[in-house]
Amino acid sequence: MTRPTFFSLVLALLLSACGDGTAPETAQEALSQMSWPEIEAEARGATLTHMMWTGDPLINDYMQSYVKPEVKQRYGIELNIVSGQGSTIVQTMMAELQAGKTDSEVDMMWINGETFYQLRQIKGLHGPWTEQLPNAQFIDLDNPFIGVDFQQPVDGYECPWGNVQMAIIYDTLRTPNPPQNRAELLAYAKAHPGTFTIDTRFTGLTFLKALLIDIAGGQKALAGGFDEAKYGQYAPQLWDYLRELKPYLWKEGQSFPEGVAPMHQMFANGELHFTMSNNDCEVDNKIMQGVFPETARGYVWELGTIQNSHYLGIAKHSAHKAAAMVVANFMISPEAQYRKMDPAVWGDGTVLSLDKLPEDWAGKFRNLPNRQYAPNREAIQDKALMELAPEYMIRLAEDFRKEIIEG
Amino acid sequence: MSRLTKIVLIGLILFPFAFLLMLSLGRQWPYPVLLPEQWSLSNWQVVLGGSEGLGNSVLLSVLLSLSVATLSTGLSFWVSRHIAYHPKREAWLSLAYFPYVFAPVILAACLQFFFIVGGLYGTFGGVLLAQLFITFPYGVIFFSSFWNERLRSMEELVKTLGGSTRQAYAKVLVPVAKGALMTCFFQLFLISWFEYGLTNLIGVGKVPTLTLRVFQYVNEANVFLAALASCLLIMPPVILLWLNRQVVFQERNI
Amino acid sequence: MQERWAAYSSRSLFVWLAAVPIVAGVSYALLYSLGLIGIMAEGLTLVHWQEVLTDTAFWRTLGFSLFVAAVSILLSLLLALALVLRAPQAFTRGTLSFFIYLPLSIPAIVMAFFIFQLLGKGGWLSRLSYQLGLISALEQFPDWVNDNYGIGIIVAHVIMATPFFTIFFANLYQNERLGEYLQLAATLGAKKRQRIFRVAVPVLLRRGLATVFLYFMFVMGSYEIPLLVGSQSVQMVSVRTIQRLQRYNLGDIPEAYAISVAYTVMVVILLGGLLWYNRKQMGRA
Repeated sequence: MTRPTFFSLVLALLLSACGDGTAPETAQEALSQMSWPEIEAEARGATLTHMMWTGDPLINDYMQSYVKPEVKQRYGIELNIVSGQGSTIVQTMMAELQAGKTDSEVDMMWINGETFYQLRQIKGLHGPWTEQLPNAQFIDLDNPFIGVDFQQPVDGYECPWGNVQMAIIYDTLRTPNPPQNRAELLAYAKAHPGTFTIDTRFTGLTFLKALLIDIAGGQKALAGGFDEAKYGQYAPQLWDYLRELKPYLWKEGQSFPEGVAPMHQMFANGELHFTMSNNDCEVDNKIMQGVFPETARGYVWELGTIQNSHYLGIAKHSAHKAAAMVVANFMISPEAQYRKMDPAVWGDGTVLSLDKLPEDWAGKFRNLPNRQYAPNREAIQDKALMELAPEYMIRLAEDFRKEIIEG
Repeated sequence: MSRLTKIVLIGLILFPFAFLLMLSLGRQWPYPVLLPEQWSLSNWQVVLGGSEGLGNSVLLSVLLSLSVATLSTGLSFWVSRHIAYHPKREAWLSLAYFPYVFAPVILAACLQFFFIVGGLYGTFGGVLLAQLFITFPYGVIFFSSFWNERLRSMEELVKTLGGSTRQAYAKVLVPVAKGALMTCFFQLFLISWFEYGLTNLIGVGKVPTLTLRVFQYVNEANVFLAALASCLLIMPPVILLWLNRQVVFQERNI
Repeated sequence: MQERWAAYSSRSLFVWLAAVPIVAGVSYALLYSLGLIGIMAEGLTLVHWQEVLTDTAFWRTLGFSLFVAAVSILLSLLLALALVLRAPQAFTRGTLSFFIYLPLSIPAIVMAFFIFQLLGKGGWLSRLSYQLGLISALEQFPDWVNDNYGIGIIVAHVIMATPFFTIFFANLYQNERLGEYLQLAATLGAKKRQRIFRVAVPVLLRRGLATVFLYFMFVMGSYEIPLLVGSQSVQMVSVRTIQRLQRYNLGDIPEAYAISVAYTVMVVILLGGLLWYNRKQMGRA
């Protein structure tokens, strides 16, 4: 076997990369014409692969012990859960589309705004499909935090599943008066150096977005599409503020945690006085698991924090779209949403509108046991900020690395 | 080596295991206490009880890793011999380093495309092959240090005495290299067992090894679960070691 | 005849399993980084390469990876050789020969977690220091993880590499019958120091060079340990690559592939240097 033979083989394989990644359009047409009973019939007996983040045992338990057996029993669908987060999902979809695969390995995915944006970019999502779900009538699509994802209308390409707001977590014993704005944060950091930081991934960037909105003067200023001029005006002020804050941050701002998990750990053992989470109910979960001290609380500061929803998406070239729709429909049913919202199970906010629900369900939702440690949902609603356009996040991520981490 | 030194060494070796076990049984570990404030088996119950099919994952992992280790060790032992006696030995050997330039995750990202095109994506066979890519060359390099003149002359001796190649292997080479074979087998088994990034990417989570199912807890905020997951990851190889004790640690009197 | 066939087929298998995947992978990465393939590709472009090569952080990453790997390997070699030469039989027979295998059953991710919990400011050693009165507050404990010198990373790798090298060199010692050579040297009048540094160490290192270099490559390209225990401002190469792969901006992904290819080139150069050095040594010997 000679070298040239190898290279030609490799080249041949690479040339096959020039396949187009469009899934048969006819199949999609057919699906959108079908009635719901027909879809349920089509779905029966299918094996559905659902990719989601599996790092929380409570969420895993909800899916494995409740959702999985229920869809098996009611609809005869075998739900196969595989582990993967945002970038893994996008990478998998990209590779499959590039190779011209006609049926994807992953059918349904748990995604949020940034992944949605990326998947739309590579045309990896099937849609529109959410309108066909019977339970979609209860979804609060008028709510800007649910019907709009990163300033892009959902358009039926992803189905809202849960709703969360970012909260900062602190210890009431150590920090009886947590900072409420930028100035107070700076003062606190100066008084207690090395106790505050942000991570370099989604949560940290979400926090930066809230700061940027505050510098710009409020939600309205940065609403709508990306505006280079506005970014150029306000971002430098953000970096100036961070540079001022930097020497008082954890590790003097020389390093930042790679994600929230190490931050939570350092908060738990006292190295940090604060940690953050995109899920406002996180503090309840963690106290229940014995990870955070019982004196920990979550709060949303005066400036407001970003509220957003997370969604379910279907792969464009999935062979089990009907099954995905049926399972998604179950997951947004009042029953499943109610159970999900229970702080003892998960505590995730619902995407259903209480006004649109039948009275008995609305009553049940209202009477859910309250969270003990997380902020009250209604109380933080007026401090909720909408997500910014995706380009803001791209620029913030890049400039944060350039200006602050490597600067 | 004095008895004291031995005891100190063994203590140092056992410390991480004890530490992880201790954390896995804990709840609440605020600074500056040395041991967790509360002890509880609830973490173990949550992970072991809540995950169905964990037993299947263990079986699958054992099957996968044993296959990979056996295939790789056997093949690399055979191949490394032919390479070691080749005049251009260094050049050949240098080829074996290439798969390790990248971390397995990155190699998997580069090869993902080919696995999809080849229809091996998301299959047990695909994951097996991918793991062979990162274990086989390791074996070749590992054994390259062991082929020397003495072994060569032993082989020659067998030949002159009328023995076949098979006998040379069975009666002479394998017994002599037993320690090396076992060490290599164990190392390759471990590489396969602990492999996460590559298995996850090529197998798309459809080849649910124990490592895959448990790995995500190690990187998360709950240190007690992370410690527990670590214990679960470590236990099977330790058990394997213990079972192999007799085979691995025979006295070698040549 | 059968021997010839065996030799030929074994070498073919070797090329198939070792060389083809990597050639395919690197070609894919190269084409991707040049914008020729990929979902978001727009055609031949050098902009990604430009981005990568003009970024000082990239060169720092390469240098830092080399530094961490070199220090880790050096320290582990010192420890392993000291242990083996002190008590060559202890690691091939007896209780210690079992226990020395145990640390090998700890994977990188667990070691990273363990080191973080041990050496971090809120970690076990810090708590011990507090209890012993050596420090009075968490902040006083030194920065041993997430620091700019890679202390935590180095410690983690040393703990992982030392047992491996110990076993390896102990086995090599037996295989090369080093004990007999050292006896011979002793009868010829060599002092202990000479026996160690002129006979034992050179033999062990020269015979084991291939494996040592492989481990060096492992450490350089390691991912989980630097991710958890390293700093974000000075990264090791795999952490940086994966970060680019997972970037929010999909258009940046070719940069990750460019970094991979550049890193491959660097390793090939190192390997070439090693081969050349080896050849010189053989020539001299």
